[in-house]
Parts: sequence; C-alpha cells; structure tokens
Amino acid sequence: MERSSRTFVILLTIPAALFFLVFFTYPVLLLVYNSLFDVSLLALQNRKFVGLENYADILTSAQTIKLFSQTLQFTAITLGSEFILGFIAALTFNAIGRKSEVLRTMFLFPLMVAPIVAGLLWRFMLIDNFGILNHILTGLGLIQRTADIAWLSNPKIVLLSVALPDIWLTTCFVTLILYTGLQNIPGEIMEAARIDGANALQTFWSITVPLLRPVIAAVIILRGIDAARTFDSIWIMTGGGPMGRSEVLSLRIYLTMIRFGRFGDASALATVFLVVLLILCLIAFYTIWKPDISKR
Amino acid sequence: MKNKHFIHRVLIAAALVILALYIFPYLYMVLTSFKPPNDVLSIPPTFLPKQFDLKNYLQIGDYAYIPKTFLNSLVIALLSSTFTLILAVPAAYAVTRFNTRYGRVFLVGTLVARMIPYISVAVPLFFIMKNFKLIDNYIAVAIGHMTISLPLAIWLLSSFFEGIPVELEEAARVDGCARFEAFLKVIVPISLGGIAVTAIFSFLASWNDFLFSLLLTSTNTKTAPLAIAEFNSQYGTVWGTMTALATLFSLPVIFVSFFLQRRIVAGATMGAIKG
Amino acid sequence: MLIKQKIQVLLSVFLIAALLVACAPRAATESAAPTTAPDTSGAPPATESAVEGPTEAPAAETATLNILVEGGGHSLQQAIADKFEAETGNTVNFIEVPYQDVHDKLLAEIAAGGSSYDVATIDVIWIPEFAAAAEPLDDLFTDEVKNDLFPALVNDAQFEGRFVGMPTWANAEILFYQKSLFEDPDEQAAFKEEYGYDLKVPTNWQEFTDAAVFFTRDTDGDGNIDLYGTDVKGGVETEWLATVLQAGSPGVALDADGNVIIDNQAHVDALKFYTDLHCTYNVSPPNVNELDWNASQQLFFEGKLAMMRFWAHNYRFIPDDSVVKGNTGVAPMIAGPGGVGAIPGPWYNIIPSTAQNKELAKQFIQFAYENNALGLDAPLGLAARISAYDSYANKEGFEHFNPLIDTLNAPQTIGRPLVTTWNEITNDVLIPLVQQALTCQVPAEEVLADAKAQIEALK
Repeated sequence: MERSSRTFVILLTIPAALFFLVFFTYPVLLLVYNSLFDVSLLALQNRKFVGLENYADILTSAQTIKLFSQTLQFTAITLGSEFILGFIAALTFNAIGRKSEVLRTMFLFPLMVAPIVAGLLWRFMLIDNFGILNHILTGLGLIQRTADIAWLSNPKIVLLSVALPDIWLTTCFVTLILYTGLQNIPGEIMEAARIDGANALQTFWSITVPLLRPVIAAVIILRGIDAARTFDSIWIMTGGGPMGRSEVLSLRIYLTMIRFGRFGDASALATVFLVVLLILCLIAFYTIWKPDISKR
Repeated sequence: MKNKHFIHRVLIAAALVILALYIFPYLYMVLTSFKPPNDVLSIPPTFLPKQFDLKNYLQIGDYAYIPKTFLNSLVIALLSSTFTLILAVPAAYAVTRFNTRYGRVFLVGTLVARMIPYISVAVPLFFIMKNFKLIDNYIAVAIGHMTISLPLAIWLLSSFFEGIPVELEEAARVDGCARFEAFLKVIVPISLGGIAVTAIFSFLASWNDFLFSLLLTSTNTKTAPLAIAEFNSQYGTVWGTMTALATLFSLPVIFVSFFLQRRIVAGATMGAIKG
Repeated sequence: MLIKQKIQVLLSVFLIAALLVACAPRAATESAAPTTAPDTSGAPPATESAVEGPTEAPAAETATLNILVEGGGHSLQQAIADKFEAETGNTVNFIEVPYQDVHDKLLAEIAAGGSSYDVATIDVIWIPEFAAAAEPLDDLFTDEVKNDLFPALVNDAQFEGRFVGMPTWANAEILFYQKSLFEDPDEQAAFKEEYGYDLKVPTNWQEFTDAAVFFTRDTDGDGNIDLYGTDVKGGVETEWLATVLQAGSPGVALDADGNVIIDNQAHVDALKFYTDLHCTYNVSPPNVNELDWNASQQLFFEGKLAMMRFWAHNYRFIPDDSVVKGNTGVAPMIAGPGGVGAIPGPWYNIIPSTAQNKELAKQFIQFAYENNALGLDAPLGLAARISAYDSYANKEGFEHFNPLIDTLNAPQTIGRPLVTTWNEITNDVLIPLVQQALTCQVPAEEVLADAKAQIEALK
C-alpha cells in the first residue's frame, strides 16, 4: 500500500514539480551563474567572468547598507502599522459579533485592488499642490498650510509615504485573520477571565495575545515577506526618490538591470536579496512559529 | 443592560468610521474619474465632482492601444490561473492525502518558493525567455504569473483538502474506483468551492501583476497595469484619464469578489490559520 | 447548493475560455518572432543623398514603420509622419511612452532581440549607450547637412567615429519672465531706488538674484508669500548643470577626456549660486525637492513666479486661460562669470539594430530631416536645423526662437559627457547632490567632494 501510494503521489505532483524545477530552481541557478559575470544587458553575449567581484562590490558599498536598511524600515513600518490597525479593527468587529459580517465583507475589498492602482491613488492624494490629504489635514487644523508636509519629497518621511498604499491594501487581510483567530477563542476562557476579575487590558495581554500567537506568527512571516518584496506601489509613487530614500531592494535591482544595463550586478544583488530573505524566513519560522506548532 | 446596548452602538459607529476611512481613498479615485477633466487638478481639490462628466472615460478612446491591453490582461490571467489549477489541484491533493516523505519535501519546496523575491525570479526569467525568443508572448508572461500563483494555490488547496474527510474516498474505493477516479469523481466536485477561491486568487495574482508584465512584455502583450502606469509622464500626468482607467481596471475584480465574498473570506482565512 | 452550482458554472466558463484563448492563433508570436531579416542596411550608393521618392526596396508593398517616442517627439514628428504616409503610402505608427520609458523600453527591446521599433527618438544622453546597437547613418551626413545643424548637435550625433543619430530637434533653457512686472514704471522706480540701477531683464547672476529678491512678496497681505522671484528646482539636475557652464566650467561633471571635474571651482560657485537663491534669499517656493519640470511649469502658469528658467518650447505651451498668457517675455539664458551657458537638449532619431524595416527607417529619418521645419508648427514647436529656426525667428508667436538661437550658439553651451554611465551618474550622484545641497545644511565643497568620490567609484 505504501509503495503504490508513493507512486500515486509522485505522479500527481510531477507536473507541478516540473514547473518548480524549470521555472524556479533553474532561474535561480541561472541568476547565480549570471552574477559571476560582468555583463551588460545590451550585449549579453560579451560576458566577462569576474567571479565574486560583483558580490565584493555589493558588500563593500555604502549604498548597500542604505538599501537594506530602507527595505527593513519599510517592512517594519508596514507590518507594524498593519498589525496595530488590524488589531484595532479586528477587536472592534469581534466585539460587535455576528452583525459585523456585512461590514467585514466591505472592509475586505481593498484586497482586490492592484498594488499599482493603490500606489497611483495614494500618489494622487499625497502629491503637493492638489493632493487632497493635506487639504483635509489643513481643514482639520492639524497642519497650518498645505505645503507643510511634503509626503513625496521630504526624504525623512518618504518611506512612510510609500508604505501607505501597502498598509491600506493589506490591513483588511490582517484584520480578517485576526478576527477569525479571535472568534476561535472559546468563550469560556473569556468568561473565566472576567469572573476572575481581569479587566479588558489584562485579558488582552495575558490571554488573547498568547492564544493568538500561532496566527500572529503566520501573519508576520507571510506579510513580512510580501512587504520586503514590494515593487509596484513604490515604483509608481516615487520611483525610488528623493535622493534614493525610498528605494527598496526590488526597485534597486530593477534599476540596475534596466536603467543602468548592468545585468551581472543586478543578478548579484538579486541573489543576495534572495539568500537574506530566505535566511530571515527560516529564522522567523523556527523561532516564532514552530515552537507553537510543536506545543499544540 | 442599557450600558451594553450603548457600547454596542458605539462599537458599530466606530466600525462604520473605520470602514468609511478605509474605503475613502478608493471612492475618491472613482469620483475623480467622473469629474470634468479640468477639475481633476483643481486647487483646492474637491471630493465630489461639481458636475458628473464622462469625458475622462471618453478620452480613453483617444488611445487606440488601450482596449488591447485589457484584453491581454484577461487572456494572460485566464491562461495562468487555469494552468495553475491544473498543476496545483492534483499536487495539493496528493501531498495532503498521503503522508509520504516525498510529499513533505514537496510542500517544503512550495513554501520556499513562496519566499523568493519576485524580482529574483523575474530577472533570470527575462534572460530565459529572451533566449527562447518568447519575450512579448502570452506564454512568457503567463509563466511569470504562475510563479506567483502556483505556490499560493498549492498552499490554499492543501488547507482545503485537509478539511475533507478521508472516508469519502474510502467509500468510493470500496465501490471499486481507482484512486485517480476517486479523486476526480468524488473529491473534486466536493471541493469546487475551494477550487473556485483558488482560481480567483490566481486570477487576481495575474490580473494585478505589474513587475513580470513590465519585464516580459513589449508592445503586443502589454497589460493594462502597464498602460495605466504609462500615463505618469514627465510633462504632466493625465490624472483624469488615469483614474478612469484605474477604475475600469479594478471593477471586474470587485464585481467578481462581491458575488463570491463569503468563499473568499473563507479561503483567505484558511490559508493563514491552517498552515 | 445554489452557490455550488454558480461556482461550477464559473469554473467551466474559465476553463473553456482559457482553452479557446490558448488555442487561438497567437498574434503575439508573429510579431515577437526575431527578425534576422535580410539585412538591407548596406548603404545605397553615395549619389542618392537627395532622396525624393522611395528607393527600390519597399516600393511595391506598403509597410508599417514603428517609432518609439515620448510626448514631445510625437507631436513634433506627427506632421512629418503624415506627409511621409501621403507620399510613400507606408504607415507610420508612433508608440508614445513617458520619458524614462523611452530608454528602458528600448534597452529591454534590444536586449530581447525584439523588432517592435524601427526608429527610436532618443535623448542625446543615451546615444553612447545605444550607439553600438544602432545602425550607422554616416551616408546621411553630407557637408550640406552638417552645415545646417548647430555644431553641438553634429558633435553629439557621433560616437566612436560613426554617426548613429540624426538630430530631430534642439532645445535649451531660456529665461521666462512676467512682462507686466518688468515693464511696470512703478516697479522700475522702486527697484532703482532699492538697488541703484535700472530694472531690466536679468542678463547675469547678480541681476537675476536682485530681481528675484525684489519680486518675492506677499501681494494680498495675508502673511503668505504669493509671488516668488523664481523657482529653485530640486527634482531635476539639468538646470544646475547649466549654471555650472555659466560659471565657466569646460564641461559638466566630466571633462572631454573623462576626468572627474565635478569638484572644480566652477561647480562650487555654481552650486552656491543655485542653492543660495533658496537657502539665503528664499526666493523660491520652499518645497524645492518637489520642484521638477512639471511643478515649475504649473507654478509659472499660475502667475506665482516672476521669472523662470525653462526649456524654450514651453513658450508655446502657455494655456489660454493662464494669467501669464500674453504677459510672458523671453530672453536668452543668463550669463554667469563664464558667460551665457546652457545644456543643449537635442533628441535624435536612431535605428535599432534589431529593427525590422531598416531601409524604410532610414528613408523616414532622411525625410524627417528634410522636412524638419514642419515640426515648428506643432505644439512643441522645435527644430534641429538652423535654417528652420531662421525662417520662423521673426514670426509672431515665435518670440522665443531668437533667445533660443542665441543660447544655443553661446560658447558655454556644451553638451553633457558622452559616457555610458551617465544615467547612473544622474540618478545616483547628480540629483541627490542637488537635493542635499538644497537642504542648506551641507557646504557646497563637501557635497561636491562626496560626489567626486561617488563618480570615481562608478567608473
């Protein structure tokens, strides 16, 4: 029984496995291969083998630190905001209970919007002169003049600005996951806590959050990966500026390949990105996720 | 009692506020698309159009290539989501049903694939497609999109299949069905809900994609997102037409999701919780 | 059950549609097929310089010529294309994309070996990069042709000994100003009193600064400045580069031999002048890093700037309902210690080596040169040939041509270095350095020293 099962499994998975091999494994190997050359996109046949020189350039360049730091900051801002906002929304919906279904459904809809469209519409709202956000803030009295906050051209806050579309797009997803998790907490536990005299905050920290840990872990890893890989919305909002302060890794790799034509360098940076992301994922997986699974 | 009722009302109000704030950006874009072209960039900006005007939509007609881009997006999305399903459904079934070591390795592989940055796949994919002279061909872009949707699909479907009791196939096997027959005739019909959700997410992944389309298309298979982004030009962005296009682009998706929202919610949560 | 049925129907529709589409004749593959087309790019005998009608090759059948352009290039060549279509029966198809996309898409297309573009109208700064992948056009550059083009344009059309591009138009920044401000007797009197000399359209740095300071004011008494002397652009680098030339530098960033000169005295002086307008004199709208071509143009059209340095074509772009319509004066670019200087911004037509219809492309390029003056009636209204500009220079509505010609002819109007890394230098060094200097917190010498190190690391 075991033998024929294995054959069955293999047969059914062969098409997908083949796809993975040809369109994941092979490209990644090719990526690493290309990264060992100094080759221009316009003359792909004139390649010069340079070994690890591209990597040396990357690792010794001050720009690399800036890139990684910005990508990390972007991920942190996005993830953090999604979580906080998502939690607030999830708790609100949870407290309302069943009746919140309609609201929740409508809440879900930004998930369907394309990142490029999200980037565009937030650019439209943030741009100077006629962006509506600053006008609203001025109207509310939160800022004095519409030129006070230069969302897209102030290097200090531009990372936050480009994070906004991403936060907007996926907060609903986080809300949904957390809501489902909250719903799955047996009512008796909450009752017991209340009887024991715990107030809302204590309940939240000592009971809700620990119980939600597997869910939270899953979301952090999944959303973290997606945030780190962002390209579309940042590209359309700022193209990486000003002063390169909103450049994240995917953007830089694309620019290196298409704007500067340096295919070898782009491949090297892409490889570094891949390796770092994988390592981080594995670390995250083993520290915050697995322990919970094995505990169950 | 009264206290609780009051709190409940407050919560609902809060939820409505949250919802309104959340939907606001999108509504703003849609409303802007219906403003007269000159008003789109007014200072100070207005939320509601002074006049309802379809000119932005009509101006789309000035750009003859645009309908083709929408068609391209549709074709590519259909292609990639279909093939994703064809590959993912049997694979997900096989690895969840039978606990083989190979199956576990496969799942881990899928997980790893999920974590690879898109750009790291797109860059060599450009190279490969160029060598096969497939740049600007539907196949190349569809494959690119499948690298996004296949891991996702396997993930979703695995969670879904895990929820189906084994007894169902066993009953079919007892009746004399071969394993594959049991799969096709019993399991698939029951899991159509999950498959539909996966289909939608796969379709979305392709419809909304920008990066792979950017790298792998030229003039013939340019997709709608690229066309929309191109309005961002140096001597002035034609915001009116751009918002109109963006609205048109996002409508089909919202339409579909509206009908199948319950399923989508189930699918979205399933993916994360069960994993 | 109802939902299930709905889903079943949807799924079947999906599958059927996908299969139909997948099996449908693939229009995509045909045009993506690589063209190892019979290479007819061998130059026809030299006697054929004055092409009137079509040559033997595409005479019988009509073909479609695909031209990659951005907005400006499209409008300037539309009339030419229409005439070409009428005379030769071929179709001209413009593929219009945003500025950066011209570069990116051309690069990707050539890299992929695709034949989507027969002609590409590109910015001069990309010539070095694409030269190796462009068809030689030496036979088009007869002495007659060369004599009718501005010298800088002919220089930049070649790379490593071959002519690879035919100029389609030339542009440079000139000075725009609000006539009502400068011609108003009250203003003139007030200015004379404050500065001791007559108010006139600035011709040098000092006059420019004085006028800018003078006109920066709160016109309606609400405490906010409504009129600014000028705009200081932090979103683009070319205007600062023009200032560098005005300061007398022999080149921008690099000299003719490729040495890095970005930290020479002229660059320092230019950077100081450029940023002082904002940092010291506050004559510009404060969001300098957001001021790119778009934003500045908008501000001037709204009457918020007394003066503006901008590309000459903008003169014909003033909207009818703008407050500065009929009130805009133009003058040659101002001079610095080194004289009048500007960055020429010519665009060239090239033929990518992967093009499908090379002979036809060459025909078109020649035709475009001969009918260069047709572009002058287009909204963008620019040309490459001296004779074309001369013929319109004194026409009404073309008052910007004389300033433009003067600026283009100035000795310090020098083209940008023809190096393949210019894109990167602009993106990673020049624009950031301008923006950094505009934070007013780092001295010019330091910014430029850093820039030098960065450029040297790039080479």
